[in-house]
Amino acid sequence: MTVNPVDYAIISQSLIAAAREMGAKLVRSAYSTVLREARDGSAALLDPDGSTIAQAELIPMQLGTIGRVFQPCAARYPVETLEEGDFFVINDPYSGGQHLQDVFFFHPIFFEGRVLGFSASVAHHLDISGGDPGLNTAAVDVYAEGLIIPPIKLNMTRDWHGGAFERLLRANVRVPHQTMGDFDAQIAANAIGAARIVELAQRYGADKLTAVMGMLLDYSEARMRAAIRQIPAGVYVGEDAVDDDGLSETPLPVRATVTVEGDAIAIDFDGTAPQVRRNLNAPFAATVSAALSCVKAALTSPDIPFNAGAARPITVTAPKGCLLNPHHPAPVRARMEACFRAWNAVMKALAQAVPDKVIACGFDTTTVGVLSRLGPGGWSVYLEIFGGGSGAAVDVDGCDAVDSPLSNCSNTPVEALDQDFPFFRVIEYAMRADSCGAGAARGGLGFVRRYEILSDGVRLSLYSDRFRRPPEGLFGGRTGETGFCEVLRQGRAITLKSKDAIDLEKGDVVTLAVGGGGGYGDPAARPLEKIRRDLEDGIISAGSASAWSQHKIAAE
Amino acid sequence: MRVGIEVGGTFTDLVAVDGGRVEVVKVPSTPGAPEIGAFGSLEAAGIAAADVTDLVHGSTVATNAILERKGASIAFLTTRGFRDILFFQRHDRRNIYDLRYAKPAPPVRRKDCFEVSERVDAAGAVIQPLDEAEVRATLIPQLAEGGYQALAICLLSAYIAPAHEERLKALIGAALPELRIACSHEVAQEFREFERASTTVLSAYVQPVIDGYLDRFEATLARAGFQGGFSVMQSNGGRLPAVAMRRNSITALFSGPAAGVVGAIRQAERSQRRNLITFDMGGTSTDVCLVVDGAPAIAPETEVDGLPIRTPVLDIVTVGAGGGSLVWIDDGGMLRVGPRSAGASPGPACYGRGGSQPTVTDAHLIRGTIRADAFLGGTMALDVERAHASFEEVAGRLGVSVREAAAAAIRLAVANIVRAVQLVSTERGRDPRDYALLPFGGAGPLLAAEIAEELGIGEILVPPNPGVISALGLLSADYVRVAGVTRRASLGEEAPGLLREEFARFRSGAEAEFRSLGLDGELAFDLTADMRFVGQAFEIPVEIAPDRLAGLKPSDLADDFAAAHRRIYFHGGEPGRNVEIVGLRFGVRRRLDALPEFRERPAAVPHAGEAEIWTAQGAVKARLIDAASLDPADPVEGPTLVEGYSSTLWVPPAWRARRDEPGNIIMQRINA
Repeated sequence: MTVNPVDYAIISQSLIAAAREMGAKLVRSAYSTVLREARDGSAALLDPDGSTIAQAELIPMQLGTIGRVFQPCAARYPVETLEEGDFFVINDPYSGGQHLQDVFFFHPIFFEGRVLGFSASVAHHLDISGGDPGLNTAAVDVYAEGLIIPPIKLNMTRDWHGGAFERLLRANVRVPHQTMGDFDAQIAANAIGAARIVELAQRYGADKLTAVMGMLLDYSEARMRAAIRQIPAGVYVGEDAVDDDGLSETPLPVRATVTVEGDAIAIDFDGTAPQVRRNLNAPFAATVSAALSCVKAALTSPDIPFNAGAARPITVTAPKGCLLNPHHPAPVRARMEACFRAWNAVMKALAQAVPDKVIACGFDTTTVGVLSRLGPGGWSVYLEIFGGGSGAAVDVDGCDAVDSPLSNCSNTPVEALDQDFPFFRVIEYAMRADSCGAGAARGGLGFVRRYEILSDGVRLSLYSDRFRRPPEGLFGGRTGETGFCEVLRQGRAITLKSKDAIDLEKGDVVTLAVGGGGGYGDPAARPLEKIRRDLEDGIISAGSASAWSQHKIAAE
Repeated sequence: MRVGIEVGGTFTDLVAVDGGRVEVVKVPSTPGAPEIGAFGSLEAAGIAAADVTDLVHGSTVATNAILERKGASIAFLTTRGFRDILFFQRHDRRNIYDLRYAKPAPPVRRKDCFEVSERVDAAGAVIQPLDEAEVRATLIPQLAEGGYQALAICLLSAYIAPAHEERLKALIGAALPELRIACSHEVAQEFREFERASTTVLSAYVQPVIDGYLDRFEATLARAGFQGGFSVMQSNGGRLPAVAMRRNSITALFSGPAAGVVGAIRQAERSQRRNLITFDMGGTSTDVCLVVDGAPAIAPETEVDGLPIRTPVLDIVTVGAGGGSLVWIDDGGMLRVGPRSAGASPGPACYGRGGSQPTVTDAHLIRGTIRADAFLGGTMALDVERAHASFEEVAGRLGVSVREAAAAAIRLAVANIVRAVQLVSTERGRDPRDYALLPFGGAGPLLAAEIAEELGIGEILVPPNPGVISALGLLSADYVRVAGVTRRASLGEEAPGLLREEFARFRSGAEAEFRSLGLDGELAFDLTADMRFVGQAFEIPVEIAPDRLAGLKPSDLADDFAAAHRRIYFHGGEPGRNVEIVGLRFGVRRRLDALPEFRERPAAVPHAGEAEIWTAQGAVKARLIDAASLDPADPVEGPTLVEGYSSTLWVPPAWRARRDEPGNIIMQRINA
């Protein structure tokens, strides 16, 4: 069916608007701080084949592969056998999922007896069972990380609202009041997406709507291919490394070989470290998401809708058994660290081809801190996700204190924490001066968050990275600062590893520090005026300013 | 005589009413000194300042001070450990794939941010007393050294316990009497420290600018013999005497769009239309607002230049679709309209001021719904050739004629506005078909019928002089003060008591304030509870008529909340889930007396004959009439162009328009 350019433009913009509304309502009706404040969830609309048509741009990591995690569901339960009220649920990292905390819901959208597509939502759930509240850093396999939901088909009437599956879930999560409310928010988002699609079908007809879905995929593909054609053909290699696996002190290299040919890109991760015994492994779907996000961010203008079409020109491969494509049942909870190094490795490879489009390494790490306590009323779990400083670009300093590029979580207001958590208090939230890498453009600043523990029986779990290996600068730019975590107990400092857990005592003070981004270009090329301004604002110290400007004077 | 003067980016509009006399004037704005344009509009209307009894003013002075970073030199003070909250913001990116992302820049530098030792918890208990010795020994000398004009103070938990902020203000104020001090609890008594701090800082930043502007304005008025009342418009849709604006000017931001909505509502009330979707389409953008039973929706927060402002504003959605919006094809081959605009300069190609890219106005000219010799009452000639030339490239790339390309651009502009309408209606659980569409602004009435058709809306109300409705809104705005407080309470037996107590507190304060401003007469109050399920972070406003307070039961509140939640999120929560109140909002309003009639100003251009208009069905001959001559006894059917001084109404085939007794044009679909 041919669609005129105006209907095409209007319907495609309406599809994108519908996905955006789903995302907004997912967040606004949620209960846990991780979903409602940090906004660690996403939503999308899929065509009947499971290709992502439009998405709410919330968390890049979750968005790259929503279609991929849909496929095992459809393979088991063919779309034509679905009935009103049916829906799919899945979180299994070894069936296309990422980690167990991200639970995906897919609702078919029926119109005049046929399935027009699916509304999809995913949210990071605060606690999905497993060996420790929120985060089990000691897990040796995926079973210890939480409840595994393989691809299953459920029915709203039979299985939810007091049905068997809902009760099974409720019985297995530690903070059911919040988690079950967050599931309801996902279901609401999907219902809204379905309603909007049906409205569009009524207005324009199902055939035209379906045709536009196909055209929108082709459109994003065409724009992605146009962007790739601008890159000189060649084979480019980039490498970075995760600090360690949480057990030893050996770095885990991640290596990307990026082959650009015509309007297609192939990314292969051969040469990456083998899988590890703790939760740093990234399931393959996560690896693909990270690689796609990097290419999309570096090469295309931000307004290209990111859908399955945009992914067509890009192939991603990783050897089975490596950190980026582990064998079942390796634990995967902290997959983000390996994914970020994959992102960095691809960026470094692209830097050789298109130096003006890329950025230096930022702190580029997901730092998850969990404080939990079992009180008389049940578990109370606080989980927050921290970024750091961004890497600098050829013409722009890195952004200070912002979430890392594969994620986009907001901070939780201190006044909200004061209201909700009586067992700790945030006593400092500050930028770390001098944590940025020097360069013609400097990296962004890292920051600290400091907590005073107000009662006994509190447990801290943590995963992070770049505690040992700082983010590298680019083209002469210097490295950014590393992160650290330390507990001050009765005057004595206890240093934590980047993947660690500890039982806290009343009066302890926890300092969690994340690092800054790498610089871009020779620091000698930085204008004195900018150095002076950063000094006045306390972004750099007098020591670094004088080292930096002397360096500059010497160069002149 | 009552006069409203609205200073916009391009034009300054004046509406004056006095008995049966109505003056409507549009003059160019004078951005460097907006008061010059404002007084110019009085002159152009032939009005002597001494004859004005009531002058209401709205301007973009506050907004521009922020956009252009031309506010006061300010410092920021907060609780020790939290100096950087203005720079952290919410630790997120607005565009997730932008590698060069930069956060919105606050109007204060990091070197001008200070800390003070103190801490209060969420219950209002003092954890660490305010260190007054430190304030005297260190802080005050630093503030003196900095030579600041204003200081913004935002301490953690001050929304519930403002004592430390008050004490700091007293201590610092005594030592530095020249320093203007804004405290967070004075501008927003709600939790979330970054949003409250941002509001306080922006308030401190614009206050001296507003003060200076109002000083100059009042002095000029006094010299001209003005002796009437002088009020200023607020973003919440109400006005306040200028003297009250000196205490908290943050509400003066975005007063222009709010004034437009108020003018539209007041004018529609005369025709007994109280459920409206208003859209104000100007040169660069369109503002859309939903009005239920005569009351515009209120949003608790807005932002300017990416910086949040926690103050109640009319819930207006803005889209980048105006007459000057550019028509272009992106690198994936998709036709787009806006959000970039040709602005006032160079403006659309047909203005002949150097613009070569096609715009929505050029599309209208090609289609025929704007006539080259009747634009702006015939005062500005347009160049049809240039309009055609501007569309040639787009038409070529789409493989269609210039006329078809122009028609496509208009349909896309319509679609952009339709989506904005859906944002304020369907996305909030409201069906647009239950509302009348009310277009205004220079470019609104041209597209109203097409927008209504897309949304299934059957009735359109067009006010007289649609291009100056904001100025009408100024002089018809009530006196309004609004306030909000964070008060968390579960929906137990004590909840109604809390509501009664807090409402009584606001009421007595408001009564005293209005009395001190000389605003006697009957006051109307409203009360809204922001509620949510326990554990949620975003609240849903639930209105509670004050006369229900006496007999209010907790279950009434729970029922009202569940209904509101269902409307927006398609479910009312699982049974037994607890509901809590998070905050309360109050409003007080002193109603204005009825306004005299508002009549169409004649356009003074020739309207003889017909115009050729290109529609989806091909060329049609449209009748031309002057808006001022549209008579209640003589309805017109489309295709017709109704041309007025400030705007043109397009009545397409299958629509009928008639002037009603109160002076509005009611346009309805025939057989719909």
